[in-house]
Amino acid sequence: MFSAEAKPLLHSAAWRISAWATLAYACGTLAVFLSLHLYVSRDIERRNDAWLAGEVEVLGDVAERTPRDSLYQRVVEEVAELASREVPNRQPNDSPAQDSVFFLETDPASHQLIWVGPGSGAPFLDALHRVSAKNDQPFTLNAHGYKISYRVVMTHIDGGSSIFLGLSDRDQLRVLRQFRLRFAMLWGLLVLFGTTIVFYTTKRMLNRVRDITEAAEHIDQSDLSARVPASQRKDEIGQLAHTLNRMLDRIQAAMHQLHTITGSLSHDLRSPLTAIRGNLELSLTAASETSRQEAIIVCIEELDRLNDFLNTSLDVAEARADALRLDVEPIDMSAMLRSMIELYEPSMAEHGLTLRFDCSESVRIAGDLALLHRLFANLFNNEIVHLPTGCTVLVRLRQAPGVVQFHMEDNGPGFPQEVLDHIFEQRVKGTGSKGHGLGLAFVDAVVRAHGGSAQVSNSPQGGARIFLTISTHSSQ
Amino acid sequence: MRILLVEDDIPIQEFLRPALEEAGYEVDVAGDGKTAAEFSAANAYRVLIVDLGLPDADGLDVIEQLRSAGQLAPVLILSARRSVDDRVRGLEQGGDDYLTKPFALAELLARLRNLLRRGNATSVAAEPTRLQVDDLELDLLRRQATRSGESLQLTQQEFVLLEFLCRNRGRVVTRSMILEQVWGMRFQPDTNVVDVHIYRLRGKVDGKNQPPLIRTLRGVGYVLGGS
Repeated sequence: MFSAEAKPLLHSAAWRISAWATLAYACGTLAVFLSLHLYVSRDIERRNDAWLAGEVEVLGDVAERTPRDSLYQRVVEEVAELASREVPNRQPNDSPAQDSVFFLETDPASHQLIWVGPGSGAPFLDALHRVSAKNDQPFTLNAHGYKISYRVVMTHIDGGSSIFLGLSDRDQLRVLRQFRLRFAMLWGLLVLFGTTIVFYTTKRMLNRVRDITEAAEHIDQSDLSARVPASQRKDEIGQLAHTLNRMLDRIQAAMHQLHTITGSLSHDLRSPLTAIRGNLELSLTAASETSRQEAIIVCIEELDRLNDFLNTSLDVAEARADALRLDVEPIDMSAMLRSMIELYEPSMAEHGLTLRFDCSESVRIAGDLALLHRLFANLFNNEIVHLPTGCTVLVRLRQAPGVVQFHMEDNGPGFPQEVLDHIFEQRVKGTGSKGHGLGLAFVDAVVRAHGGSAQVSNSPQGGARIFLTISTHSSQ
Repeated sequence: MRILLVEDDIPIQEFLRPALEEAGYEVDVAGDGKTAAEFSAANAYRVLIVDLGLPDADGLDVIEQLRSAGQLAPVLILSARRSVDDRVRGLEQGGDDYLTKPFALAELLARLRNLLRRGNATSVAAEPTRLQVDDLELDLLRRQATRSGESLQLTQQEFVLLEFLCRNRGRVVTRSMILEQVWGMRFQPDTNVVDVHIYRLRGKVDGKNQPPLIRTLRGVGYVLGGS
């Protein structure tokens, strides 16, 4: 016995499912982010390089055109200053690009001529000496003392001087950092949200499974009446509950059947056994040969009845368990009924009953001849045993699409009301009936095994009315 | 006429052996499949009675073994199962017969005789066209019956019933045998349906001043003639 409380959450299937779902979900979104990140950082670098290339060209132009006088340095400084304000990805609240851009002009001997940028140009000049820059090819420069690298473009101008324009990666890194930060927050929220949803949906679903399990545990041999909770939903769990309940219905019916049978079997077996035993004892001590023979004859008759009862009981039980084996063959129902009536008619006449048969067409079905014989024998027997003298029995056989309809009606007293409600249950019989109460249960079982149905009612005039349909093509 | 009874149940052996011997058969009894095979190889039998529930093998397998060992005699199968399965049905079509327990001794003997008659192909050719029991005569071609020269007004069904009784003259026929042979139905009738037919027939066959031909054996069935 377990319950949700006794079961640690970490061991529940809901937890496992949501953990795995989360993992898959997180990995997927992370992969998407990484590729996006790569794309964005490359794009920023490309834009930076394009900006650098454009600006260095303008600066080169300005440097070439401006005469080398005292104003030269100021003009170039001014232009470089202006250019730095147009830095891509620049934050508006930044102080004028003190450290995000540097401008450096060197003479042919690589000595610093003009430096516009953070601090002194010396660490940059040192760093530039260590790399071999190509004309107009952007490259990354790591200057000593500066944590953040610079993207640099160089161009040669007339007179052998070189112009270097550098752009700090700071802004790019900041953009990317923010990108990552926002993603991380969103990602965290998404994963948390997704996990919660998956966890609660699976938990709700599995709670239904748990309810079924708990209900199933309450169902034991002593009490089969409980049913697992079945929701209206037609999903897999709903189907599971439905299937379980149907299975339980069948088991309960079978158990009920078994109890009824064992209960009444002892009665039905004990009385003939007592009669047989008594008669046999009588035959041992009988005074005359005639009474001895009479006792033995009674025994044989009782045994025949007992055997018949046993066979019918087993047939009904088998049919109820859907285990009645049909030996299917083509049957002309009208011919079969005619010969049955021929067999029973004299016996009915003997009891003062009239039989009318109405069957216009030849009615063909596929079914088990022996079982159908016994079915109709049962019905005719019932009429003979229960109808008072002078009654008329009407038998009608009709062919309908896919089924054969058999209709039997009499003008007798009909079924007692208390019997009518449970007419097809085993062992139901009217008070004072001498039968075993198996007859109509057997009829119902055989008809159902033939893919048909049986209906029993009293006619408005009060007589008994039996209506059977039998499939023309038995499924078995 | 020698027959082999393959049956493990001692009480059934004990009542069948004397009953069969009284009916004029020489009986060997085998309690299991192995003994049955030995007996079958050692002696010639006209007919075999085999119970399906044997201790060492399934009765049908035993029959197959005996058949493959060259046993050609027809087999009467005794079965405790109610519904006869397809394999038994197959054997039935092959000329053998079956009987479900419990059975009436009269029925067992009748089925044995049938099997023996089927085995005798010569008797089929000499199928009679007239049957006679005492002063009762049946013309099988014209479907007419006379008693002491007087024509009997019988329905077709009654004629078939009388013919069946005549063919089994002097022997007991049970109600279920009549039901099977005359109406083609194999079940135990609950009520006295067959009896009523017999009473009606007797009313026509046994007139007021004639000695009764059709006798009732209570608890067993009916006998025609041969007192």
